[in-house]
Amino acid sequence: MKKPIKEIGVCSAVLWVLTMALGAGSVCLAQDKVVKVGNIIPLSGPSASVGQQGKNAREMAVEEINAAGGIKSLGGAKLVMLYTDSESKPEKGVAEAERFINTEKVHVLTGCWNSAVTYPTTAVAERYGIPFIVPVSVADKITEQGFKTVFRIAAKDSWWTRDQFAFLRDMEKEFNAKLEKIAFVYENGDWGKGFAEQWKELAKKGDYKVVLDEPYPSTATDLSPIVQKIKRANPDVLLLVSNAADAILLTNTLADYRVKLKAIIGSGGGHADPSFLQAAGKNAQYLFDIVEWETDVNKPGAKEANEKFKSRYGYNLAGESVDAYLAMYVLADAMERAASLDPVKIREALATTNLGSGRGMIVGYDAVEFDKTGQNKHASLVMVQINDIGKGMERITVWPKNARRAGYQPVFPMP
Amino acid sequence: MVFILEDTINGILMGSIYGLTALGLTLIFGVLKVINFAHGSLLMVGMYVAYWAVTLSGAHPYLTLILVIPVMYLFGYYLQDIVIKPIFKAESEVREPITVIIVTTGVWYVLDNLTLLIFGPHYRTIQENPLRGKMLELGGMLISVPKLWGFSAAVLTAAAVYLFLQKTSMGRAIRATSLDREAASLMGIKQFKIYNIAFGIGTATAGIAAVTLVPFYNVFPTVGVLFDIKGFIIVVLGGLGSIGGAILGGMIIGVIESVGPQFMAATWAEGIVYGLFLLFLFVKPSGLFGVRYDW
Repeated sequence: MKKPIKEIGVCSAVLWVLTMALGAGSVCLAQDKVVKVGNIIPLSGPSASVGQQGKNAREMAVEEINAAGGIKSLGGAKLVMLYTDSESKPEKGVAEAERFINTEKVHVLTGCWNSAVTYPTTAVAERYGIPFIVPVSVADKITEQGFKTVFRIAAKDSWWTRDQFAFLRDMEKEFNAKLEKIAFVYENGDWGKGFAEQWKELAKKGDYKVVLDEPYPSTATDLSPIVQKIKRANPDVLLLVSNAADAILLTNTLADYRVKLKAIIGSGGGHADPSFLQAAGKNAQYLFDIVEWETDVNKPGAKEANEKFKSRYGYNLAGESVDAYLAMYVLADAMERAASLDPVKIREALATTNLGSGRGMIVGYDAVEFDKTGQNKHASLVMVQINDIGKGMERITVWPKNARRAGYQPVFPMP
Repeated sequence: MVFILEDTINGILMGSIYGLTALGLTLIFGVLKVINFAHGSLLMVGMYVAYWAVTLSGAHPYLTLILVIPVMYLFGYYLQDIVIKPIFKAESEVREPITVIIVTTGVWYVLDNLTLLIFGPHYRTIQENPLRGKMLELGGMLISVPKLWGFSAAVLTAAAVYLFLQKTSMGRAIRATSLDREAASLMGIKQFKIYNIAFGIGTATAGIAAVTLVPFYNVFPTVGVLFDIKGFIIVVLGGLGSIGGAILGGMIIGVIESVGPQFMAATWAEGIVYGLFLLFLFVKPSGLFGVRYDW
């Protein structure tokens, strides 16, 4: 009876030693060779489609970074991606952040696309001091919580309207035109009314005269009364916030009633809907629209990155996926400079980011640099003009000027 | 004021088209005593039929009526015969069968989602067409030509349906059934045959409305819902079951929608429409031309 027990004892002792050795070894490996990135994004539920786009873009970027030798200052450490599904639910995001930090011991977190999820989840990261990169979640308040560990790459909500007015100013300068009278027409929801509030402020500051401020129900079946109002107010510029059906109807009705304007500016949404160009056709010509990113952005590598992405996943890069792609390069750049896996050092490195070139910089603006709140202060949006330059109506990037499609001269004012 | 005149004309034109979309709703209610929640979806189906007919043939939109009217009539006829009739029979003892209303709601969801599956969520408008974007200039006023066509179609359709109900023996049978289906049955009128025909005619008028809309409006799977809501208001305003009331009710709403925004925000003009709806329900629930006492 004694012998077997002894044998078992020996065996287990050997096993124990082996386990310890292996365990220690893997811990050593993890500390030296791997940067663990925890990604909390919606992979099911209503936002699953954009969540998947973000995941694909991250995968593509990380593959490129790792193939190029990983983080050289960490001995060629590879980026290792961990994904979890937020289901677009704030409580799920918070719980997964806790798990990533405590169980998976991630070095950096990214996410969460839905502003409602990002907002509470960044608070978890802040509590543990783990850096949190937000590629895109647009609610202003995310970087206005006084947190030290939050870094947002995309432009925030209030910058959309800011850029629409900056664009107007730049066009006035470039074409030596004077715009005075401005009209706001917007769908009667949170989105439209929120934009209109900000427009009013900007118009006051910019010394424009607001000749019409008109909300309309997005379910309207006849927009000719609104178009008549626009015509009679006779503005130089018309700013719009519309959903798809009303964007098409407005564009067609404006053309029917021969309303003469110097510029029409959309706010994405309905004007960026894939069926808008087809349904509005020639009537959409010369219209301007604001977007996060457009496939023709005149930046080195943008076209190639989009082609690679499209051949792998079957669709074009968009604002969301470009920000996610860039986020991985921002992280790699920070890790290179931090040369450490200590969250404090990584945070320091992120805070001093000034990334102006490299494979990830395919966005319309010049550099990624975070202000004190962690907001990328250079982030801006791009303006496109809808025009036909021989291949049917298409969206052509015109602003900022250094991102403008090569050889394209914007048509302004509208003929 | 030339502006007011211009807006009033636009309101009357657009409103008559609203009335036309509600014509089938009021007809079906008058005969079957059932609120057809699928009516907007029938309009949507008509719009898709008209859209494809115009796009594929390149013909004048109103020529497609030759196709749209019979297709929609048969669609309505068999929808009632196959889907709705069995439920009716199961509830034959009840005067206003609630389950039939629920079935029409089901038909609405099925049609909208089937369209979404088949054609996708895209918004479509017909291009390159003799009616698209045409405007008539009249002493400084701009009047939409496609809406003018729609107005004529609405008035003619309403007149034709009215004459059909008044002057033909089939029309008399339909009216008899709507007055008292039991007595009508005793007189040898086949109740369910009449229901099928009434539903078919109602659906065909939705098809005509669809043809009037296609030249200037978008086609998409949930387009029916937008017109459905207006349809209910118009039917209450004009009086349930009244053909002329539907067209006039439509015109009233059209004028409020068109002239109102010139004096206030468009969202307020919409508020007035709903306010009027409530006022009528309180003060004159039978509408402008409805029968005061239920028979």
